[in-house]
Amino acid sequence: MNSPLNRRHFLRNASVCIALPFLESVGFRRFASAATLAPRPKRMIFLAMGWGVTNETWYPDPKQTGAEWTLSEGLKPLAAFQKDITVVQNTFHKHSSDAHSCSTFWLTGANRYGIPGRSFHNTISVDQVAAEQFGQDTRFGSLAFSNPGGEGGHGSAVSWNRQGKPVADLSDPVAVFHKLFSDEKTPLSERKAQLQREQSVLDTVLIEAKDTARGLSREDTDKLNEYLESIREIEIRLAKEEQWLTVPKVKPTQSITEPGKGLSGEQEVKLMYDLMVAAFQTDATRVISYRQPVQSLLRSRGYNLDGHNMSHYSMGPRMEASQARDKCQSELTAYLIQKLKATKEPDGSSLFDHVSVALGSNVRTAHQLDNCPLLLTGRGAGIKLGHHLVMPDPKTPLCNVWLSLLHGVGVRPPSFGDSTGILDALMA
Amino acid sequence: MSTAMLRPLHLALGSVGLLIFSATSLAETPQTTARMLPENRKFLETHCFECHNADKQKGKVRLDDLALEITEIPTAERWQKVLAALNSGEMPPEDAKQPSAPDKAGFLEKLSKQMVIARKALSDSGGVITMRRLNRREYVYTIRELLDVEVNPFDLPSDEAPGTFDTVGSGLFFSSDQFAQYLKLARNALDQAIVTGKPAPKQQVRIEVEQKANESARTDLKAARASIQKVAQWRKSGGTSPEFNDEPHASTNESLARGRETVALAYLKDPATLTGRFPKLDIEHFQIPGNLPPGRYILRARVAFPPDAPHVSNLNMTPLLGPRPWLTGGEPRFVEFGTQGDQGWPIEMKLLGCHQVKGTLEKAEIIEQPVVLTKGSPRIFALRERRPNGQADLNYFWYYKAPQRSKHEFGFWRGLWIDWVEWEGPLETQWPPESHQLALGEVDLTANPGDEQARDILQNFASRAFRGRQPTADFMERLMGHFAERRKAGEPFEQAIKTPLAIILASPKFLYIVEPVEREALAVAQTVPASFTATPTTPPAASPAGATKRVPLSDAELANRLSYFLWSSPPDERLLSFASSGKLKDPKVLAAEANRMLADEKVMRFVSGFTHQWLHMTRLDFFQFNWRLYPLFDGSLKAAARREVFETLRTVLDENLPLGTLLKSDFVVVNDILADFYDIPGVEGSAFRKVSVPAGIPRGGLLSMAAILAMGSDGERSSLVERGAWVLRKLLHDPPPPAPANVPQLSRFAGKLLPARELMTAHQEQPQCAQCHRRIDPIGFALEHFDATGRWRTEEYTEVYKIHKAVEKKQFFPIDSSGRLPDGTPFDGFEGLRDAVAKHEANFARGLTEHLVEYALGRPCGFSDAELVETVLQKSKPQRYTPRSLIQALIASKEFQSK
Repeated sequence: MNSPLNRRHFLRNASVCIALPFLESVGFRRFASAATLAPRPKRMIFLAMGWGVTNETWYPDPKQTGAEWTLSEGLKPLAAFQKDITVVQNTFHKHSSDAHSCSTFWLTGANRYGIPGRSFHNTISVDQVAAEQFGQDTRFGSLAFSNPGGEGGHGSAVSWNRQGKPVADLSDPVAVFHKLFSDEKTPLSERKAQLQREQSVLDTVLIEAKDTARGLSREDTDKLNEYLESIREIEIRLAKEEQWLTVPKVKPTQSITEPGKGLSGEQEVKLMYDLMVAAFQTDATRVISYRQPVQSLLRSRGYNLDGHNMSHYSMGPRMEASQARDKCQSELTAYLIQKLKATKEPDGSSLFDHVSVALGSNVRTAHQLDNCPLLLTGRGAGIKLGHHLVMPDPKTPLCNVWLSLLHGVGVRPPSFGDSTGILDALMA
Repeated sequence: MSTAMLRPLHLALGSVGLLIFSATSLAETPQTTARMLPENRKFLETHCFECHNADKQKGKVRLDDLALEITEIPTAERWQKVLAALNSGEMPPEDAKQPSAPDKAGFLEKLSKQMVIARKALSDSGGVITMRRLNRREYVYTIRELLDVEVNPFDLPSDEAPGTFDTVGSGLFFSSDQFAQYLKLARNALDQAIVTGKPAPKQQVRIEVEQKANESARTDLKAARASIQKVAQWRKSGGTSPEFNDEPHASTNESLARGRETVALAYLKDPATLTGRFPKLDIEHFQIPGNLPPGRYILRARVAFPPDAPHVSNLNMTPLLGPRPWLTGGEPRFVEFGTQGDQGWPIEMKLLGCHQVKGTLEKAEIIEQPVVLTKGSPRIFALRERRPNGQADLNYFWYYKAPQRSKHEFGFWRGLWIDWVEWEGPLETQWPPESHQLALGEVDLTANPGDEQARDILQNFASRAFRGRQPTADFMERLMGHFAERRKAGEPFEQAIKTPLAIILASPKFLYIVEPVEREALAVAQTVPASFTATPTTPPAASPAGATKRVPLSDAELANRLSYFLWSSPPDERLLSFASSGKLKDPKVLAAEANRMLADEKVMRFVSGFTHQWLHMTRLDFFQFNWRLYPLFDGSLKAAARREVFETLRTVLDENLPLGTLLKSDFVVVNDILADFYDIPGVEGSAFRKVSVPAGIPRGGLLSMAAILAMGSDGERSSLVERGAWVLRKLLHDPPPPAPANVPQLSRFAGKLLPARELMTAHQEQPQCAQCHRRIDPIGFALEHFDATGRWRTEEYTEVYKIHKAVEKKQFFPIDSSGRLPDGTPFDGFEGLRDAVAKHEANFARGLTEHLVEYALGRPCGFSDAELVETVLQKSKPQRYTPRSLIQALIASKEFQSK
């Protein structure tokens, strides 16, 4: 039965390509002296690979550490880039107690039960710490990508703000594309009026919020503050939009194609990677987090299984699926690295030289919450690449890695989460 | 298979382990402070202090100063570390002297029990109810009551989280994009509610399905013959042309093409295809045009099954499903209606309903499915023969594996036959619809309304939306400003009014359930102080000691609390009138109103919303079920199984039956497909109804429900640990501690075929496992006659896989279902366990009451609620703890009526 409804299938196969800008010609590069160019900004990517990995086949042999190590089965597709990646073993979040929270605490390390009388609590995520510093000069302070369906945990967010509340995320590549590159069709005056109207709506509800606050207990006032915080965030966004209102979106010189609708799985991840690279290249933002899809990735590899089933694998179809997923992730990572390397910066260096990429999960496999899988790449944070690090202490805080990456890119908080210090072994 | 078998069972506990209540029986006074004993300190002294003391702190851990009383989070965290280190076998180190097994087990049992108490004590809010916003369910129902329209809330967070209820305010956040979502949803709702012009005429559109199907078969036939032709030509050319590599390649192609030719010919020759279609294992879809308004519609189809139609469950994919001799007159046949879901359409569809079909090709039958279209909801609908979702490869089984296939010379899946499909609607007869009046009141749009009317509309709507609180004058002025601005921009009245109406629905008095206390007004900071530390900006909630005095709710607040408790939506007019006349606090009126509300259809919102979370039924969606082993447990059955739990509780509530009915009953509340699953004859139609359990059928009570049993599995095998822990936690009110994370896998079981009971012996080997599992596992043994989906079985089937989906070896084992309760009561099998559990009605009632307190009051039920819980139980006890009496006792309590 040829169902005409199966557009999804058709679109999946339709080749969608984003032509990356080629602003800098070879000639330009030759004459540009380093002195006239500002140092290239640092960028950060965090890729949350929910539900963990295949315990038996993803981790490299812990006996082979340092620069001499053999790629594991699951990492084999990264063979061409072994010198560009570092795998870190033996890190974890000490407050992790519940695998079903998924990636909710991966970038925060928070204690869900950290506040008496509350069933949920979270703190700022590492990407948002970086965004506070890096987001000043870009159109978007940071971007959080997600996937439709969310797949477990407390909502779909992997990024959390200063107040420990989820950062709004984008799950549709088409929406991401428009946000980054689409021209505003409405005239400037109309957009200004629109911003004013939005601000005016906020002013109106604030009147009611103030009235509501009368007679509230402290706990209730805290709760109402969440509402106010959300209003405040919109105000900040509006202010930023206003500030950028007259600045045209940087667009690639070559044509850029709007992605097809309904892409999923492997194609969707690839497209998101393309968009990330394009966003960095046009300096639309410098910090991106991405909670990656699992179920649709498996589907695109022919496994009709969801992430939870996959992670509870045993010998047989579930384990096969888990291994196929590891391989697929590694292939996609190779694709991203290759892309970052091929994208040139105005000073002749590549994007890869200025970006820090972390790929991992706070779940090892099923309900194992120690030795979190973690792969780092990019030269942006000044870490050792091409290494296999097995931390001598199996309880090394994952937040130490996050702190090290932050310091590596020039954001220097004294500590992060439950960190105890910088990992010297990691730094080049 | 076997290695993982222990693991999922084990660790899945972690997910539910957070919902902890103390392990006390009715007889003893509950212990309210977690306290380790001096002899436990001795244990630490003997085994830990040498490396973890004041001078030496190996791994930066010091234990000699660890307080025995666990009253603060840092202390609890340190004890938790001790627990984890001992549980995982990490400590004491291998080369150190090991504690004896009984010592270690004793210490761990004490510590894990104290940690359960500590968590409860530390989560005690001391009676403080945190203001909360409407959760997602309540939002949808509230909009429905306010405007009589449906919204799709999927942009909002679901608010269900492990270990708590979606009514507990402290756990519900408000994310940065939520405000915009509320505005958008409100706008959507108003676009649906307010109408202009004339009503859309009702249409009835019928689609004859055979034409397209036959065209497609003819195309297949043509393509198949072309392939055969191609092979012939290749052979004629002496195999030199490039189409095929060699003769085997060519002949494979030829035989496939011949198969396709046979199928297409058979299909076209079948007389039934002259007037209808056999969709085989595909779907039949059709569309209601997007330009038709939202509202109620009806889908219809004229369908039939041939008498010898193949049946998905008889594909012989599974060694588990024997013949079903109770079925006389053939297998029951079902057809599913569905629509486009989130993923995988058309292989997966979102099910709307499942209908038994008795029509024959001679005398086909018309089935109907009512649907409600909302703005933006899918307009494509489909029907198909009932089958597991997402299984495109069923076709593969049919064509290549199914032994029955040879019996059908036609070669195609000659199952469901469809004469036609049709849709009819919109069915609304009133114009303008109720929703229009709810939004605009009596204002007549044709009478050129102006500012005065706008003000009336906004004032009335805000009063209704704010549930008894009034909008401020400033707010009203600004709303009028928004209206004027839109009018100036050229929008007509009915359009311009939507902007301020939507703002009302995004305001805090609508989104939050506010219960202010008349104390000195607390100023809210106008700007949010930006904090630049990683610590939370909000201080810890008030400790029980610092808890403020409770004051009575106002009448309006009481009406709200009652209504959101029982209906998840605002009070109706009758309840409001009692509130405004000041009569609601009269205990007789309040009880009568509660009874009225409990009898209303809307109570199902409470029943499903509460029960789903109380019994932790999200577990039902944790795993996909292996359709090859369990073809009967498909989407329709899972939905019916879930519903059975709610319908049963509803029946117990309606008929005011003792709570113990849920533990053991001589009836079930089922529909046709569930009755089929339970081997109960004579149930027709998809409506749920009370049915007596026939002799010899092991059903009746929660323990025998497919949903509950399926939750105790990983989709492949039954999990006796999961089931045992669930019984302890939910029925006996004696919860085991949460399972520790990072338990090593037992690789020595890999590749071995073993019955589940034998695998569990591994739990007895290590004291840290044995201390809990000796209580948990034996309960699970009793339920081993139920497979992973809750179907009765006489033998346990296990298999070991090689790669590529191939089963390497398989074996059946006899089932030993004897066991005992933690109190020592021995039992044999399901009936024995059920009888033993049924004796603990009082424990079950206590557990339920604690959960009801949390759900109804929107805060954790802590030790400080001991008196409340006791009062409710004592009041309800003479009535055998009927759910109605428990709910009434809770509503009558001072706590329910205070803030």
